[in-house]
Order: sequence, then C-alpha cells, then structure tokens
Amino acid sequence: MSVIEVQELGKEFQVPQKDPGVLGAVRGLFRPRYENKKAVDQLNFQVEAGEIVGYIGVNGAGKSTTIKMLTGILMPSSGTVRVLGRDPHKQRVENAREIGVVFGQRTQLWWDLALIESLDLIAKIYDVPPARYKEVLEQFTETLELGSLLKVPVRNMSLGQKMRSELAAALIHQPKVVYLDEPTIGLDLIVKERIRDFIKKECGSKGMTVMLTTHDLGDIEELCQRVIIIDNGHVIYDGPINTIKKRFGKFREITFETAENAKAPTLPAGAEVLAAEERKLQIRFDRTVSSASKIASTVMSQMEVTDFSLSEPDLAGIVKQIYNGALDMEEK
Amino acid sequence: MTRYLDLYWLFLIQRLKTLMEYRASFILGAASTISLQAASIAAVWVVMQKVPSLNGWSYNEVLMVYGFVTLTKSINHMFADNLWTIGRVYIRTGGFDRFLVRPIDPLFHLLADRFCQDGVGNFVVGIALVIKTSIDLGIEWTLPKALMLIVATISGGVIFIALNLITAVSSFWVIDSVPVTRLVFDNHLFAQYPLTIYPRAISVLLTWVIPYGFASFYPASYLLGREIGNLAWLSPFIAAFLMFIGYRFWQFGLRYYSGTGS
Ligand SMILES: Nc1ncnc2c1ncn2[C@@H]1O[C@H](COP(=O)(O)OP(=O)(O)OP(=O)(O)O)[C@@H](O)[C@H]1O
Ligand SMILES: [Mg+2]
Repeated sequence: MSVIEVQELGKEFQVPQKDPGVLGAVRGLFRPRYENKKAVDQLNFQVEAGEIVGYIGVNGAGKSTTIKMLTGILMPSSGTVRVLGRDPHKQRVENAREIGVVFGQRTQLWWDLALIESLDLIAKIYDVPPARYKEVLEQFTETLELGSLLKVPVRNMSLGQKMRSELAAALIHQPKVVYLDEPTIGLDLIVKERIRDFIKKECGSKGMTVMLTTHDLGDIEELCQRVIIIDNGHVIYDGPINTIKKRFGKFREITFETAENAKAPTLPAGAEVLAAEERKLQIRFDRTVSSASKIASTVMSQMEVTDFSLSEPDLAGIVKQIYNGALDMEEK
Repeated sequence: MTRYLDLYWLFLIQRLKTLMEYRASFILGAASTISLQAASIAAVWVVMQKVPSLNGWSYNEVLMVYGFVTLTKSINHMFADNLWTIGRVYIRTGGFDRFLVRPIDPLFHLLADRFCQDGVGNFVVGIALVIKTSIDLGIEWTLPKALMLIVATISGGVIFIALNLITAVSSFWVIDSVPVTRLVFDNHLFAQYPLTIYPRAISVLLTWVIPYGFASFYPASYLLGREIGNLAWLSPFIAAFLMFIGYRFWQFGLRYYSGTGS
C-alpha cells in the first residue's frame, strides 16, 4: 500500500463574481453570481513510504489546494484521497496524528507565545512522551540553531527564524508523513541551505514520506528524486527529477533587445529562436554545444543590439516546453 | 475527556501568561466590563423606580433575572468568545487551517485557543446579583435551590454557546458570521426581564425556539418559588439538545470550509 494515494481528485471553488462600482456591489448583494473554479482536476498519483516528492507548478497551479486536501483541511469535490489508508477529512484526528505540516505563508505557532511555550503545547497536543520530546527538542535546538530563539515570541522573529521554528513545530512529534508548502519562501540562501539540510537529515534519514512544494528548483534538486509537475490542476509530469534536469538543465536563454524589429538571424549549431517579438529576440541554446558569447557575437554581427540578458530556464519556461511536447519527443 | 481538560488547562495557563504581557489591555478590558455592568444595572434600577412592580415582579426579583442572564452569558463570554471572531480572525486569514491538522477536535481547539478574561467580571457580577437579591428577598437556600443554581448556570451557559455555535457555522459560507450571530444573540436582551411581561409570541420564542428563557427567567422563577420555575429542570436537556444540533451542524459546515487562496 502506498502512503499517499490520490485518485481522480478534484476541487472546485465557488468564486463570487464582483461587478465593478457601487451599482455592481448592490447587484451582488441581491443576486450574487458565482463562478466555479476548478483548482484541481482529476489528479492521480501515489507516493511510497520514504519518498521525498517535489510538487511543483506555477502560481495558481493547484499545489496548495492539493496539499490542503491531503491534510484534511479541505474536503475534495470529487475523487478520493487516502493517507496511510485513511480519509484525511473524515478521519481527521487519526490522520492528524501521523502528519506534520508547514505552510510557509502562515504560522502554526502562537503569535504571542515564546517558541518553547508553543512547542511544549504542541507536544502535549500530540501526546508526545516527555522523554521523547526532550530528546527531539534537544536535537532540533542543535540542527535548527534554535538555542537563542526558544524564549522569543513568534511575533518578534524574522522570517528565517520563524520558518526554522515552524519546521521544529511541525516535526516535533516525528510524523510519518510530512507536507511542506513553500518552506523556503522569501528566505536568503544561507537559511535556505540550512533548511534543506535539516529536511534531508530529519525527514530523509528517518524515512518520513515528504511532499514538498516550492518555486525554488534548487530545493527540488537537492532534496527530491521525483517530481510531480502540475499545471491548471492537472499533472503534466510525474517522474524522476533527472529526466527534467537532463532535458532542461543544459539549456540557457538569451534575450536580445534590438534597435529595429529583428529578422530571424542565422545561428550557430545548438541554438534556436524561441520567440521573435517587436524589437525583442529570445534564443535558447544548448550550453554543451554552444556558448553565450558565441551566440551574442553572432547575433550582434547581424543586427544592432541595445541590450541583452541571460537566464536559466525557470519553472514557467519548463512548463511551457512540456506543453510544447518537449518530453514526449524524448520518450518516443 | 480528562485529556481535553488537561489540554484546556494548559491552553488557559498560556493564555493568562499572554494576558499578563498585555497588562494595559487587560486593565482596560476590566474597566470597560465594570462600567458596562454598572450602566446596565442602573438601567434596570431606573426602570424599576418608575414602575415599582413589573407585572407583579419587584425590583429585586427583576434584578435576579438580570443577574442570571449576566451569569449564564458570562460562561459563553469566557469560554466561547472565539465563536464571535471565527470569521474575521480565523477564517478570513486562513489561520483556521491549523486547527484542522492537529489531532484534537477543531471546535475544542478553536474555543480553547482564547479564554476571554472579560467574561470573568461579568461572572462575578452575575453571581453576586443572584446571591444578593436572594438575600434581600429572604429566600431560603435549600439543596434543590443550590443545585438549580449550578445546573442553570452550566445549562444556561451551554445554551448561549450552542446558539452562537449554530450561527457561527455560517462563517464557513459567508466568512463573517457576526451579523447572523447578532440576529439570534440579541434576543437574549428579552431574557433580562421576566418573560411574563411580553406578548405571548415572545415568551414562546424565548422558551421553545431561542430558549434564552432557560438561562434566566425560569431558574430565577424557581428560586423565587414561582410555579412556572419548575420548567427550569428542563434546561440541561435543552442545552444538551442544542449543543448536539450545533455540533452536528458545525461538522456539516466543515465540509464547506474552503480556506483562502493564499
Ligand atoms: N479558497 C479559495 N477560494 C477560491 N479560489 C481558490 C481558493 N483557494 C484557491 N483558489 C484558486 O485555486 C487555484 C489554485 O490555487 P492554489 O493555492 O492551490 O495554487 P498554488 O499552486 O498553491 O499557487 P502558489 O504557487 O501561488 O501558491 C487558484 O486559481 C486560486 O485562485
Ligand atoms: Mg500555494
């Protein structure tokens, strides 16, 4: 039996439609209009014990909605979720005992309580035996460097300090399944690094099953073997991270701004035009075959360039290319 | 059950610690409670100066009814104030999510999360009024009467909580449930006075539909030795029934909780 089983899962939200202006507001009062928004649609996947799965997609793709159904916060509109064989919404309390959750966007801790007081309370809520609690707390204090934070109320913490505290709070009862929804959001590189190490050490080595949502592909590369990419509520890729890395990791993009409308230039091998808009030219190249300087000089010799920039492929770009069949081509 | 009592105690201690930190707001809260109560009692007094007897009820008798409603309402105020704020503070912000991922009942978690100290003053005023008026009226405290005081306080408090719960569930659909809660809650103002002074429809409403009467008028009548007061022994059953309905409705409402987009 898989730890997480998701079948034909769907969630619709009713979004009230607001007409502009006072008149619109009055009309809305008497005859509210709703639009059904499918946030997640016919989702299927399974996660096995001990896996760390990256769950990624662009803003609004449906990641958080999925996590909320997996944790029992939201009831699915259709389909089923099973976590360790249980329905997380119906068997809320039993399910909650086995899971740990971090929502990077908000806090699980009590705003006004010192961290240690919050942790004590949480340990009681989860019924953690005192000896175990003491041991885990000591360990977390070290790995998350919480020593100086234990007496500080959450409201006085910086974002990075808060996130470390959140992780401690979510894992203090040593859950079997862990959901991390953007645990590195807004953090600087050093804190990110520390949090990644912690997740690797705490979850990875203890065989916890983890679902990790993030916009930082670095998190995924360091922590996950497998990624699920969703877009518009649908799974568009589910497989090893290596395939993604191999397919997209070797590409770079250069965007040129040109003085006049660009004609398609002749390019060296390994490069192709992605988009040619008004005074803008976007080129992708394989950096194992060509190089940024080679492309730049080739293009500049053919037209007048006012500016250019280099970028690594981001998630949005990858999603777009998957749609354009980038992965199918390789598999077939 | 004992686990929940233990947990409540722990929540309470933390809450009190926090309150100590916000000493200023604690003192302001207490001051406003005292002045509000003084104003309300003065209002009853003014009314009774004009009409020394209200439908056969003397000043002290009316004050006892008022004392009861203050007492039972304070239970709601102390232990279930979050039913007022659930929409604005917890649902609109998404903070409610955290109650749903912990291995304890989410309703318990919500209520235990904030013991409301402002209710303590009302509790003291309420109990003091009931006892003072009973002395002034020369009521003899027998065992059944003492028992009634306890039963009615708890049951009346639960009636207040259950009615607020039923209306607070609307926040799962409309987010801010305060207007809906107000609509029902404000009817308790009728129960500040003996129900017999009202038209029949209102006393039926306050007895069988929105039974705030069981939180004030009926137990007071019992202590005063009025025959209608025997109905007060129904209050625990009514409270249990309402709470049952409220809890089921709450669970139903949870299915419609949609959280926030971010
Ligand atoms: N409570 C809600 N009511 C209405 N619509 C919602 C609600 N929650 C989410 N949505 C909508 O559902 C879609 C998916 O949202 P979700 O929060 O799951 O996205 P996400 O992948 O987590 O995005 P992000 O990366 O920005 O966090 C969005 O279009 C969002 O507007
Ligand atoms: Mg999200």
